[in-house]
Amino acid sequence: MTAPAASRGSERRRPLAGVRVADFTWVWAGPFCTLQLAHLGAEVIRVETLSRICVTRLLPPWPEGQPGFNRSGYFNQYNQGKRSLALNLKEPGALAVARELVAKSDVVVENFAAGVMDRLGLGYETCRSLRPDVIMIALSGYGATGPEREYVSYGPAQVPLSGFSSLTGYPDWRPMHVGISYGDPTGGLHGAVAVLAALVHRRRTGEGQYIDLSQWEGTMALLPEGILAHTMTGEAPGRHGNHDALWSPHAVYRCAGPDRWVSIAVADDDEWRRLAAVVDPALGGDARFATATDRKRNEHALDALLGEWCASRTPEEVTAALQGAGVAAFPAMTAKDLNDDPHLGGRDYFVELPHAEVGVKRHMGIPYKLHGTPLAVERAAPLLGEDTDAVLRDVLGYDDRRIEELRAAGILT
Amino acid sequence: MSATPTARDALAGIRVVECGDFVAASYAAKQLADLGAEVVKIEPPGSGDTARRRGPFAGGRPDPDASGLYLYLNTNKRGIAVDLERSEGREVLARLAREADVVIHDVAPLDIARLGLDADELRAANPGLVVTSISPFGLTGPHRDLRMHDLNLWCAGGVATLNGGGPGADDLPPLKAFGQQAGFQAGLNGALGSLAALFERLTSGEGQLVEISMQECLTSILEMTFEFYPYMGLIPSRLGQKPIQPLDFLECKDGWVFICCVEEHQWHRFVEMVGNPEWASMELFENRLTRGANWDALQIFLNELASQYTVEELYHQAQARRIPFAPVSTMGDLLASDHLKARGFFATVESPAGGDVTMPGAPYRHSSTPWRIRRRAPRLGEHTADVLGELGYSSGEIARLREAGVAQ
Repeated sequence: MTAPAASRGSERRRPLAGVRVADFTWVWAGPFCTLQLAHLGAEVIRVETLSRICVTRLLPPWPEGQPGFNRSGYFNQYNQGKRSLALNLKEPGALAVARELVAKSDVVVENFAAGVMDRLGLGYETCRSLRPDVIMIALSGYGATGPEREYVSYGPAQVPLSGFSSLTGYPDWRPMHVGISYGDPTGGLHGAVAVLAALVHRRRTGEGQYIDLSQWEGTMALLPEGILAHTMTGEAPGRHGNHDALWSPHAVYRCAGPDRWVSIAVADDDEWRRLAAVVDPALGGDARFATATDRKRNEHALDALLGEWCASRTPEEVTAALQGAGVAAFPAMTAKDLNDDPHLGGRDYFVELPHAEVGVKRHMGIPYKLHGTPLAVERAAPLLGEDTDAVLRDVLGYDDRRIEELRAAGILT
Repeated sequence: MSATPTARDALAGIRVVECGDFVAASYAAKQLADLGAEVVKIEPPGSGDTARRRGPFAGGRPDPDASGLYLYLNTNKRGIAVDLERSEGREVLARLAREADVVIHDVAPLDIARLGLDADELRAANPGLVVTSISPFGLTGPHRDLRMHDLNLWCAGGVATLNGGGPGADDLPPLKAFGQQAGFQAGLNGALGSLAALFERLTSGEGQLVEISMQECLTSILEMTFEFYPYMGLIPSRLGQKPIQPLDFLECKDGWVFICCVEEHQWHRFVEMVGNPEWASMELFENRLTRGANWDALQIFLNELASQYTVEELYHQAQARRIPFAPVSTMGDLLASDHLKARGFFATVESPAGGDVTMPGAPYRHSSTPWRIRRRAPRLGEHTADVLGELGYSSGEIARLREAGVAQ
């Protein structure tokens, strides 16, 4: 594997070292976008206020079940590595501070509904007048234009809006969710990709720009099989549970133990023969299951048969037996399974850093490893306003007296 | 990357070689291609990319040059068909990689070296090269070489156990989301890692290996659910009642709507909107927690109510009162949406088999360097001769590679 950066040249830094991000986001989509920028080494300064506190600071989980806006695992997961500047934008005087921050930032990120930043006095034209090469991205639910641009967008509603729910679910059942507010991280990741591309462009031309990202559109970008089925054949796919249109078996089967399940997926006849050899050698010659077409036609019988085989085994036993024969199988992992997973643990994926109010708690880490410029989360998520003084002093150059005046005016809350 | 950038494309002049099969690396390279990079996709002769066999197909007739999923994932790319199992094929890859800025692949770790994709080797010949490797579990660790399809990854990432079943149906299994979503999430992370490495190269002049674990990509999007375990020792379950309601699906006259009243003011505005029905003032439904606990009863009233409305009526009337309802959009609804039409979201792209195909368009809109379609997806091997010619292969050599079955 590649040698660590230090042995090749000590100047090499994380990709976004020296890039400053003014982060006006909240809830999940926007903070997930700026989390990626923080992971890549940017200095991300979250502008937050007690008067309109980030929703995730108010949600569980909390250690010992004790609420507290610095105690939420939800907030602490998605704001690792960022700084927090408490600034009440509803107070006169706060806007000037925010504008100075924009002037010193390379990237401005926000995910309010369309028009809110303009009303706050922080629209793109203003930001550009303060910082001509600024890159600004708005990650709204519906986008900055269009008749529904001011509609309210909540994560759980974004999934049905995007089309995912009409295609996800069991046969002959109602539409379903996908388990998470899928439009949020999908929007956040597309947003981070868009910002990186804009940074490359700015580095090569000196030109900044504005990026309009609609979470709705970003989510539909992951639905080509549904959308193209409609546009090419006039018919959208139905809801087929865990089944695949072509491959079989392709399902999640109940195993021994309380609510324990294993996934099995077979993509071709070779994989099928290997599976059959493990489960029951007679199956290999069973004409009902000889080809993918046969297996799809007799999928009900096949599921019943495999379901019975799995029922007396644990997911780990099924996985070991089938993977040993080169067949794709894996347990349906719970939070505890992931926490105890030797593979994730062995890859140093988890992040455990000290935090003043929750102590050392385990968080999910960075899913991309850059071997030449290794990434690491450098600090736990910030307490609300934890970095206010430091940002005003170090970034904006305010002296103690000015900071005290702002505090006395009620702006720094 | 030395080419002069144009004002039009953010990634103009950036050369990418993609060895992607199905979704993950293909979607990563699509991000770069749609932003202006010059992508050459390498596929195996004969069968080509798995996505060529997935459809959807117009008229239901399979055609490897007209599979909808492939046409979408491979816009703005040129395609060559070269067999990386053969040394002459690997030589083509090596020569392409020598002049490239990025190589992106989703080849299984066991096969990487055999197919000529070892990052150290590629980078020895071209130190500025970024090599992005996407694999189910990353390049190290005990699970590295397990065989995984998308469904298995959705389970391995912990997403599947968050969905499915529900009150009265807890026998139903954990449920996947529609489509190849592990592949798409990994593709997004792959694009992000590649761009970050490219940006860093503008400073250091050096490339690097970018390693993506598909399992880790999914564990990074579990919302707040994972944290319940380290913070409180609790394991979130997909089963049982939701604590807060209404946050659910209702059946209208003509389809389904999603009702979302998680804040008290949203509920009060909704009750007023539907004419203050008597049941709404029952003590059972006093606040969002009691509405959750008594959802069985509330659901009956709400479904009865919804059956008197169309989806569009409930959606727009609620949104006019700033209640975050959403339609359960069908594919037809999306194509017919006035909002999406006004924004021009859907892109119409030529199919190599003739005619046009309408597909999802820009997932982000840059004011100076807009996402755009410059080229439809390639037929299998469509650009083999062009690309090999650019690498310096003579027409005689290309013909010999074709005859030998190394290229198509």
